[in-house]
Amino acid sequence: MTVKIILCTTLLVLISLGSATAQSTDELFRQGNELFEAKQYDSAVAVYGDVVGKGLESAPLYFNLGNAYFRNGDLGRAILYYHKARRLDPDDEDIVGNLEFARRFTSVQMEGVKLNPISSLFGAIVEPYDLNFLAWVTSGFFILLFVLLTMRFGLNVRGLVVRSGLTVALIVVVTLSLLTTVKYDNDYRTPMAVVIAQEAVVRTGPSLLSDKELDAVPGLVVEILDETGEFYNVLFENKRRGWIEKDLVAVI
Amino acid sequence: MRSSTGLSRGVLLMFSFVLGLLATAGSSRAQNTPDIQVGVTISRDTIGLDETATLQIVVSGNTQDLPGPKVPTLPMFEVYSQGRSSNFSLVNGRIESSVTYRYLILPKKEGSYPIDNIAVVHQNKRYKGNAVSLTVLDQGTTSTPSLEAKASDKTGQSKDLFLEATVDNANPYVNEQVTLSLKFYIAVQFYGSPSLTGPTTTGFWTEVLRNTAPYHQKVGGRTYRVLERKYALFPTQTGVLQIGRAAITTTVATQSRRRDPFDVFGGIGRGKDVTVRSNPIRVEVKPLPETGRPEGYTGTIGKFSITAQADKTTVEVNQPVTVTINIRGVGNIKSVAEPTIPELDDFRVYRASSSESVSKPKDRIGGTKTFEEVFIPKRAGSLEIPAVHISFFDPEKKRFQTVETRPIKLEATKASGPAAEYEVPYAGPDMTLGAESREIRFIKEDPGELRPVGRILEHSALYVAVNAASVLLLVATVLVRVRREKLAGDVGYARARGASKQARKRLTKAKELARLESAEEFYSESCQVVVSYIADKLNVSPHGLTTDKVSGLLSRRAAAKELIEDTTAFLHNCDFARFAPSTVSQADIDQTLKQAEDIMVRMEGIKF
Repeated sequence: MTVKIILCTTLLVLISLGSATAQSTDELFRQGNELFEAKQYDSAVAVYGDVVGKGLESAPLYFNLGNAYFRNGDLGRAILYYHKARRLDPDDEDIVGNLEFARRFTSVQMEGVKLNPISSLFGAIVEPYDLNFLAWVTSGFFILLFVLLTMRFGLNVRGLVVRSGLTVALIVVVTLSLLTTVKYDNDYRTPMAVVIAQEAVVRTGPSLLSDKELDAVPGLVVEILDETGEFYNVLFENKRRGWIEKDLVAVI
Repeated sequence: MRSSTGLSRGVLLMFSFVLGLLATAGSSRAQNTPDIQVGVTISRDTIGLDETATLQIVVSGNTQDLPGPKVPTLPMFEVYSQGRSSNFSLVNGRIESSVTYRYLILPKKEGSYPIDNIAVVHQNKRYKGNAVSLTVLDQGTTSTPSLEAKASDKTGQSKDLFLEATVDNANPYVNEQVTLSLKFYIAVQFYGSPSLTGPTTTGFWTEVLRNTAPYHQKVGGRTYRVLERKYALFPTQTGVLQIGRAAITTTVATQSRRRDPFDVFGGIGRGKDVTVRSNPIRVEVKPLPETGRPEGYTGTIGKFSITAQADKTTVEVNQPVTVTINIRGVGNIKSVAEPTIPELDDFRVYRASSSESVSKPKDRIGGTKTFEEVFIPKRAGSLEIPAVHISFFDPEKKRFQTVETRPIKLEATKASGPAAEYEVPYAGPDMTLGAESREIRFIKEDPGELRPVGRILEHSALYVAVNAASVLLLVATVLVRVRREKLAGDVGYARARGASKQARKRLTKAKELARLESAEEFYSESCQVVVSYIADKLNVSPHGLTTDKVSGLLSRRAAAKELIEDTTAFLHNCDFARFAPSTVSQADIDQTLKQAEDIMVRMEGIKF
């Protein structure tokens, strides 16, 4: 009996704690919105940052944080958080719109040629969908495939519908799995970063003594190819590459 | 009709093929056309009769098989080849190679002689180098009294070696180039490379120009070998500045008083380190004149030209046009500032990047500085990027000058794609990055589902469980089906699988009959519990299974001896009691039931 009481009390405490945390993060988010509306963008950035600091994320949170940075004049971080928001919700027109808008403020445009057309094609197909959506759709067809397999081989249903359904489901599952893998690779396995420093020299080698390759500007998106010590080896969208100090960029 | 179409198609194909061939041939021809340059320099333009100069011919071009130069006959000189050096590079598929030829020139007679007509011939084409001239003085030496004074010590003896520093202009304008020449004169044998400590040049921006090829010069009746280095100095402040002493340390040969008869090398390698220093030089730097100074002048000195070129002339609104501004000329190119671009109503302008390449023609620093500016049209229509200008002070003409680019005309078309879709900026004057920006879409009211950072669906238990369940469902149904099919098709297997179940049923029935009134049926059923179990397991008929056969089967299945004995005894008891039920008591029945249960439990462990 005593054990039951202790268990119930612990459970109640945990539930109330969880609820309090959710409440406090929601409250912080709304507080950030109020500060934003009051044009106190510095404070809004700090409050939204508190929520992120609790290890939580959501597309609206990153979007609002990006907006606060943008209004605060910090183009690099604005683009960084728009990218983070888009990763979580690529279909949101507000996020895509503001990202496109902000990117026009980067003083150097580096949108370049796509060297791998097949990879780019797959990337373009999956871009509007977030990973979770793709994963659930793939999962749905995977379950359908196995239900059909169960009917065919478990229940020995040999109808034309089952056989055709199996072929279609197999093709769809393979295709969707491939696309989901591409999406996962693009969003999570390929490390991307945004230049956040106002003055960011990209060098020919991982040393401050190396020659200058080019001047990067806030908001430019780079792919991190390698890292050593205090430097990342980065590839720009126009396929130029070089070494940049880690402090000058932020990983998406 | 069909044949006519086929014919015309064939002609078209052939025409295309020929055109393609022509284009390929044209492009390969264009690629193979060599671009060869011949550069001629001479280490000194004036020498004495007993002195030498070095003629240097550099043949460079985009081909590997560079031809050698034809040096014209120079009757007034003796010419000795001093060897050649070559350089080759391959950058982005483009070949760049050069070969440098050096000749030592000894004059025979005084006079002024042009040296021209130096040329190379490649693929029947002649490439001519620039002309230089050399003046030979009749007095036999080019040395000045001050140089001769420098070459002799206090006792009037000529020095073995000394270092002289001179400047071409001791009264320059601020930021105007002053060329410093360091000449190392040495008349004795020396070993190794002399070590130079450069002069201190506080108040100057310094760049090494070149090391000239060694030559010979007569000073005070003694011939010296001269090594020369030139520096370009740009004074960064006005007033009196001083170029400090430079120093050269070298190992010179010493004369041994006693000659060692066994020293076949005659004392080679023996020497002592000697250091010589140059004289400091006073430079008085003038300020630039105040009159005529253009507005926005940033301190550039030299002589420059400026051009601007756009990467496209037709562009969509809100799409960037890159304008490359090139400033080239002679002067401190590194100090050339970015041209000022005024605020434009029709464009948003961004500074992109700058780069510079420095060249040193005729010992004057110059080169090209390139600025890339991005212009983004705000509206559609015929637009113009206005002229961009730079101002500089020309020290030769002693006045300020302003040069400018030509205006660039652009045709801006209406935006399409994302630029139009997202109501991008640049359509109003207050559209800016920062607090005043009105164009970004407003913040979200709802925080959405706040979840741990980086949590991906594939890692969630629900996702894994849902997908795994479908796999398990398939596996389970297939297993069930396989089992069912086996049970239906294999009687022996079905009996063996059902043996335990049947035995348990019989045991339950036996329990129900475990009374004195139904003792006969009880013993019959108890016997069947064991016999039928074994018969089912082995897929044999229970009717022919006698106690002896059961015992034999159990021993063949490696059953324990005790179990065989207990089973045999049990079956005997059952047989006996069936035929004499009046002799058994309720305790016997209970005991038999217990034994049946016990035997069944023990038989479960046997592999049939």
